[in-house]
Amino acid sequence: MTTATAPTAGVPVGPGLSMFDPIFVGIDEFGHPVYITLAYRNLLAGGEPGGGKSGLLNCIAAHAALSVDSRLVLLDGKLVELGQWEDCADAFIGPDITEALAVLKRLQLVMNNRYAWLRAHGRRKLTAADGLSVITVLVDEIAFYSATVGTKQEQEEFVALLRDLVARGRAAGIPVVAATQRPSFDIIPTSLRDLFGYRAAFRCTTPNSSNIVLGHGWAEQGYTATDIAPSNQGAAYLIAEGGIPRRIKVAYLTDGQIAGIADYAAWIRRPRPLPALVPDLTRLDLGAAA
Amino acid sequence: MSKSSPRRPFGGKSNGTITVIEAKVHRSSARNARLAFILTAVIVGLLAAVVAASYMHPILALFLGALIGVPLGGLVWVLVRIWPVLRLLWWWTPEIGVTTFLGTGWVQLANHTPMPVTFAVVALVVGVPAAVPVTRRVLVAWTWCFVVRHRLRVCFAQFIIANQSGSLPLILWARPTPVGERVWVYLRPGLSLADLEGRLDRIAVACHASTALIERASDGNAAYLRFDIKRREVLTAQVGSPLVDVIDPATPATDRPTPAVPTALDLPDVDIPTVTLPAQKKPPATANGSKPAASSSTPEDDISDWI
Ligand SMILES: Nc1ncnc2c1ncn2[C@@H]1O[C@H](COP(=O)(O)OP(=O)(O)OP(=O)(O)O)[C@@H](O)[C@H]1O
Ligand SMILES: [Mg+2]
Repeated sequence: MTTATAPTAGVPVGPGLSMFDPIFVGIDEFGHPVYITLAYRNLLAGGEPGGGKSGLLNCIAAHAALSVDSRLVLLDGKLVELGQWEDCADAFIGPDITEALAVLKRLQLVMNNRYAWLRAHGRRKLTAADGLSVITVLVDEIAFYSATVGTKQEQEEFVALLRDLVARGRAAGIPVVAATQRPSFDIIPTSLRDLFGYRAAFRCTTPNSSNIVLGHGWAEQGYTATDIAPSNQGAAYLIAEGGIPRRIKVAYLTDGQIAGIADYAAWIRRPRPLPALVPDLTRLDLGAAA
Repeated sequence: MSKSSPRRPFGGKSNGTITVIEAKVHRSSARNARLAFILTAVIVGLLAAVVAASYMHPILALFLGALIGVPLGGLVWVLVRIWPVLRLLWWWTPEIGVTTFLGTGWVQLANHTPMPVTFAVVALVVGVPAAVPVTRRVLVAWTWCFVVRHRLRVCFAQFIIANQSGSLPLILWARPTPVGERVWVYLRPGLSLADLEGRLDRIAVACHASTALIERASDGNAAYLRFDIKRREVLTAQVGSPLVDVIDPATPATDRPTPAVPTALDLPDVDIPTVTLPAQKKPPATANGSKPAASSSTPEDDISDWI
């Protein structure tokens, strides 16, 4: 493979994906493809270590990286799970809660400005026709920021900011995808956990853990991630459109494939940032917009 | 006929061998038959008499009505009484049909062709579908569908007793799925989805399956359910992503500055004092302050997950 810097002009035509398109995440038990539309939903993935959560996040990151109308904000406590997307991402935060708080605050400002912009146009949510990018926030190992690193105040601030993004970001085109091994109340507050619309439960060791991810009562109805074999990594129960957990197998990208897609995405991406195409909303004045 | 109502509570013959449910079913069948006889005889008889009255004397018309009504009522009585047998025949119709068809085919073939030809034809008809994997799998899958319908009926009859008269849910069609079978069922009064969800494990056992799931098959009707019987795990193979195909493999790799490669990659390389945990320990004052709230929720971790 040759090495060259991404050109500033004459960018090759991208595959034309959009974040408003359904994202392919795998197949279900009937061999049908499973899609999720992330633009207006948040996703929470849970399950035991090595279950395949980061595989799902990489799958979503690949789609987002190849989408023309998307920006990626990556928070990865482990550095390596999403590290390969660093070149396509607008922000890549490693195990540093100060940086994480800074980027979440920026996102909050963007969200406020977008709502002001929407209000000024008499609208209620962002659509594909607006030409604004969908800012996908991927958080791997949410527990690292919310319960491990930093002071108590910083952790609480992180949770508060993330909850605000999850609660309000939907219509402003800022979906959050978060992964953690067991999203119990001591890791993320129940009030935050219950806001995620899509749930993916990878293998769990107890029906209760599965219930924590999927929602109360599913294990009693026969949908429990304990019946996934430990060797069957990447299999999960997904609650998405339809409202009933579906057994799926997440599409897997090897390191080589991720590197290929990331390089291609960095190559087709217009040189960052895009002052000419998209107004820099982070500095938009709230008063002027309203 | 008026004697029938005081006799009803003690109507069943005292027979020690039949179970309570069967006695109930038996009794209700006898009563239903009697009711059906009376209703049919009276209604048909009166109708016939009214029609006949315009042609003849009313008394003659009444006799004619009785003559028509009573035999018809009798016919209905017989039908209701043999209904359990009819139902049984109906349940096994596919099997009876297939067996009859095969038997007739075999006899016709044996009568009209010489022995070697007969065997050759049979070998072809049986052997080819059995040898071709696709048809074999399809045949086996459909056979399981028939089996599962019977097994589900056994479940309903044996341990999911729905109502007093013992009427069973209508087990509608079944079709194979990659993981097992999917059966549609229409519940009769006395059962609900929640009742069945408590018995999923036993349903799975009865169907010789690994797990069973039940979903509503219709948003507007709670009686219409879909059983998913699973006997195979199919999601074991690795699934690729189509995004790999849309990229250009000749893309030049992005020029990345080589990051500073960390050293001290093994335990002896790291001195004890230099270990700094990223997590800053909570100040003891805060820990003490939050102690009462934390200690109340820590012991029952599982329950307080839901607070
Ligand atoms: N969809 C998949 N198909 C096949 N194998 C997979 C799939 N997803 C993950 N694996 C395998 O499982 C391993 C662990 O997966 P992954 O890193 O995604 O787990 P994780 O849930 O993120 O674990 P952790 O909680 O430790 O971060 C991978 O290295 C890969 O070998
Ligand atoms: Mg991971």
